[in-house]
Amino acid sequence: MAKEVEIRSREDTFKLTSCDERPWPVTPPPSEEEVMKVYAKRKAEEFGKWCEDNLRFEYAWSKPEALQGVRVLEVGLWRLSHMFAASLLAELGAEVIKVEPPEGDPLRKLTPFGREEYMLEDQYTGEKCGLEFIHEMRNKYSITLNLETEEGRELYKKLAKTVDIIFEGYPPGWTDEMGIGYRQLSEINPRLIYVWIGQVGQWGPWKDRVSKFGQWMLEPFGQCACSFVHNTGYPPDLMPRGKGGDPTRSGVWLADYVAGEQAAVNALAALYWRDEVSGEGQFIEVTAAEAMMDILDFDITWYGFNASIKARTGSWDPNLNQYAWNPCKDGYMMIGGQTDRLWYRICMCIERDFPQFGRLITEDPLLKEMAARNALEALVKTYTLTSRWLRDINRIEAEQKLLEYDIAAGPLLYIDETCEFPHFKYRPWIYTIEDEHYGTILYATPPNAFQMRTPARVKWLGRPLGKDNEEIFMKRLGIDQIKLRELKEKGVV
Amino acid sequence: MIEKERIPMEEQPGPRSKEELDANKMPFEEYCRKVFDPGNEFEKPAALSGVRWMSCTMYIFTPHAVSNLAELGAEVVKIEMPRMGDPMKHTSPFNECYYYPLHDERPMTGQGIGCVNANVNEYFITMDYHREEMKEPFYRLVRMSDGLTECYRPGTFDRWKQSYRYLMEINPRFIYVWGGGFGYGPKVFGGSYDILGQSHAGLASITGFHEDFGGHPVKHTNWCIDWYSGTMITVGVLAALYWRRKTGLGTMIEFSQVQCATRCCGYGVPLYGRFGIVRQRWGNWDTQLCVHGIIICGKSDYPDAKNPQLRDEARYVMVSAFNDPDFKELCNIIKRPDLYEKYQKHKDRVEAEAQVEIYDALEKWAADKSRSEVVKILTDAGLLAMPVYNDMEVYESPHYRMRGTVRWQFDPIFGDQLVHSTYSCGLMSKTPRRKFWDFRPVGADNVKIYHEMLGYPISTIKEWYDKRLI
Repeated sequence: MAKEVEIRSREDTFKLTSCDERPWPVTPPPSEEEVMKVYAKRKAEEFGKWCEDNLRFEYAWSKPEALQGVRVLEVGLWRLSHMFAASLLAELGAEVIKVEPPEGDPLRKLTPFGREEYMLEDQYTGEKCGLEFIHEMRNKYSITLNLETEEGRELYKKLAKTVDIIFEGYPPGWTDEMGIGYRQLSEINPRLIYVWIGQVGQWGPWKDRVSKFGQWMLEPFGQCACSFVHNTGYPPDLMPRGKGGDPTRSGVWLADYVAGEQAAVNALAALYWRDEVSGEGQFIEVTAAEAMMDILDFDITWYGFNASIKARTGSWDPNLNQYAWNPCKDGYMMIGGQTDRLWYRICMCIERDFPQFGRLITEDPLLKEMAARNALEALVKTYTLTSRWLRDINRIEAEQKLLEYDIAAGPLLYIDETCEFPHFKYRPWIYTIEDEHYGTILYATPPNAFQMRTPARVKWLGRPLGKDNEEIFMKRLGIDQIKLRELKEKGVV
Repeated sequence: MIEKERIPMEEQPGPRSKEELDANKMPFEEYCRKVFDPGNEFEKPAALSGVRWMSCTMYIFTPHAVSNLAELGAEVVKIEMPRMGDPMKHTSPFNECYYYPLHDERPMTGQGIGCVNANVNEYFITMDYHREEMKEPFYRLVRMSDGLTECYRPGTFDRWKQSYRYLMEINPRFIYVWGGGFGYGPKVFGGSYDILGQSHAGLASITGFHEDFGGHPVKHTNWCIDWYSGTMITVGVLAALYWRRKTGLGTMIEFSQVQCATRCCGYGVPLYGRFGIVRQRWGNWDTQLCVHGIIICGKSDYPDAKNPQLRDEARYVMVSAFNDPDFKELCNIIKRPDLYEKYQKHKDRVEAEAQVEIYDALEKWAADKSRSEVVKILTDAGLLAMPVYNDMEVYESPHYRMRGTVRWQFDPIFGDQLVHSTYSCGLMSKTPRRKFWDFRPVGADNVKIYHEMLGYPISTIKEWYDKRLI
C-alpha cells in the first residue's frame, strides 16, 4: 500500500528508513516446491534434493566448526585487510580476539559521507559504530590494550604466547620498534604464525609510508601501486575524461579484501605445516598491492611479452567475446559466452527478434573463429549490434530470452535488487541476524557456509569496544576484575 | 631469580646462537629481506607437500582455487578435454599474443596468454569423462588423492557417477569442491562468469562514476572476482584439511562465486537492510574518507612518448590527507586555506558537496603540473601521494624487483616469461610459495600420470589416445 509522505529535509526521511517500516525481504523467497521443479527440468531432482539435505545454510548451526581451537589475534587499525583475514578464520570457527587501543579502531567511526544517522547505536550505551566495521566484525571478541604503554606491551606479549596466529596491520616496523614484533614474539612463542598485512610493503623502496602528521596509507593506494586502477575504467574515446573516461578505482577497498584472504590462505597453510610437519611458526608478509597484482591476469606478463601497456576497455573484455555488459532499456545487461557453442546460442537468441544480427554477426567469416573474435574491431561490431537489440528491451526480458538458450546472462543489479534477487534470498546469501547490541542487521553470508561437515557461519556481528575485556583477561592472563580496574585507571586497557 | 634458574638454558628466552643474536640486532628492513630471502625459495620446504589434488576445472575461478594449493607445494593433476584443453588457452587480449604449441596434433595453434597464472605447477592430463572406459582411471586417481575441485554445471558429475555422493564411498577422506555461479536454488543451472559475479552481486553498481557525473558502472578490469573467489575456496579447503587431521573425514564444499562479490561490498548490504539506502557509485573518491581520492593533473609524465598510455594517461595521482593536520597542510599547499577554515571537521569535509568542492580545487591546482610534480610537492611536504602506476612502471619498479614479486623466469617449453604472480601472494619466511612452471601443453603429462602413477601400460595409453579418450 502506497503511503503519502512529505519530505522537506533529510531528517524527514529518517523515520521512513527503519526496518519496521520497510522489512526485508519485500517478497518471500521461492518455496522448495518451486525449486524442485527447476531441478526436475534437467532430471536432477534426486541430486538437487541430496544437495539441499546436506549443504543447506540453515543446517550450519548443527554441525562442527573446522577451526575450533585455533586461536588468533587481530591487531591493527583503519584497514579491512587484517580484519577480513581474521573474519574468514572466525567464520570457520577460530577464536579471534581483536586488540584495539582504548579509544578504539578509527574504522569504528567511519560512515558514508560522515552521516551519523547511518551508524548503529549500541542499545545499552548509545555508542555509535560504523557499518563497514560492524559488517567485518564477525564472531570476534573485542579487547582494549594500550600498546604505547610498557605494561600494555607486557600483557600483549603474554597474550601472544597463547595464540597460534597473529594478523598485524600497523605501519612497517612499528611493532618491532615497540619490542612486540615477530622477532621478539617468536622467541617467546616459536610456534607463532605472524602475518603482517599492509599496502605496498614493510620493506623495500616503495614501502608503506606514514605522513608527517602520522596518517597511514590506506586503500586504494594498493590498487594504484599495482596498475589495477590504471587498467580499469572507460577509455577517453568512449566517455569524456573527468566524466567516467578515466582510470577508475574499485568502489570498495578491494585490494584489502584480496590481501586479507591471501593472508588467511598463507596462515592456514603455515598452520598445517606447523602441526603436520615441523612444529615451527613463521613470519608472513602480504600486501594489498602485490596480492592484487597476482590476480591481474597476465597484465604485467603481457608487458614482458611485447611491451604492451594495457589500456582501459570499460565494461568490455579484450579476451572474450561476448563477455560484457551493455546498456539496455532499464539499466545494463550482462551477456557472456565465448566458446562456439555459447556464441552461436547467443546469436540464435538475438536473431529471433533482430534478424540482421544473423547476417552481420553469425555469417561474418572473421567472427567464426573463437580467438579471432577478440580483435578490437570484432568487439566493436558485436557489441554495437548487441546493444541495438538490448536498447528496446528491459533487463528481465533479456534475461528470460537468453536463459532459454542456457546463456550465462544476468542483469546488472543495484544493492537493493541484489538483496531481493530470488536466488540470493533462497540460499540465502543475504541474511539477517539479531544482534544483542545493534539490533537486526542485514549482512552478506560467508561464501564458505555451504558445506557438508564444517560450514562457516556468522554467530555475531559487531562488538562494542572492549566488551570482552573481563572474560579474555581472566581466561588468558588470569587477571581479575580488580586488577583490570587498576589497569583501566592507568590507561593500559 | 631462583625460579629462573630452574629453567633449562635452551628453553630460556633470548638468542640461541651468534647468528640469532646478529639477526636481532639487524635493522628491521634488513631483517625482513634476510628472512624472506627472495630468489632462494627452493632452498626451503613447501607447506603442503604431500597433498595431492585433482583439478577438473576450466577458466580462472576454480583453477585458481587449486593453483593456490600447488604454489604452496601440493601436487596437482589438472584434467582437460582431449585435444581442446581449457578454453582459457584459446584466449588472448585482442587476439594478440600466444605461446606455442597447444598440442602435438595442432602445431599451428598457440596457447593464449589468457591462461597464465591460473594453473601453476600442475601436471596436465587429458580425459574424456563421458566415456565409460575412463571411469576406472578416474576412480583410481580419486583413491590416490586428497581432494578434487570441479566446475561443471550442478548434476553433471552426478550423472557421470563422479559426484561426492559416489566418491565419498570410495575415499571417505576425500574433500570435494564444487565451484560455480549459483549452487542449489532457483538459479541452480545458471552459468556464471567473473563479470556475472560483478554485475549480479551489486559490486558493479557501486564501482565507477555516478550517473550525475555522466558515468556508467565499470567492470573491474581482469577477472578479479574469479580470482578473488577462487582464493576464498582455498581458505575453505585448507580449513577442511585441518579438520580432517582430527577426524579423518572429508567433506563437500559447494561454493558460489556470485556470492563472493556481495561479501566484499562493505557497508552496502547492512546499509540497505537497516535504512533502505542503496549505495551508489562514487568514482575515484572515497565515501568514508576525504581527502582520499584520485585526481587528474594537467601534464603527463611522458609528454613525448608515442604510446598513448604514457603520453595521455600518466596524469593521475592518488592523494590522501583525511586527518585534520594533513588536510590543513594540503589546503596550505594548494593555497586554499579557506577550504580548511570551511571544513575543519572530517565529518564536514566528507559530505558529498564538500568533496566536490575540495577535489575541484585540487584539480585546479594540479592543472599546470605534471603527475610527478604533484607527487613530489606533496611528498616533500610530508603528505601521502602516489602516481597511478601503469604496467610498465610496475615492471620497472625496484620495489617489486627487490621483493621478487615481479621477476623473469625461463620455461623450457614457452621460453622467457615475466612472472608477476605466485610470489606476490605473500612472502613466507619458512615455507615460501614457488613456481616451477605456469602451465603445460594439453596432455603433456599423460604418460607420467596414467603410466607412472596409475600403472597403465604404455600400449593402453596409446590405445586411449587413438580412441580419443585422452
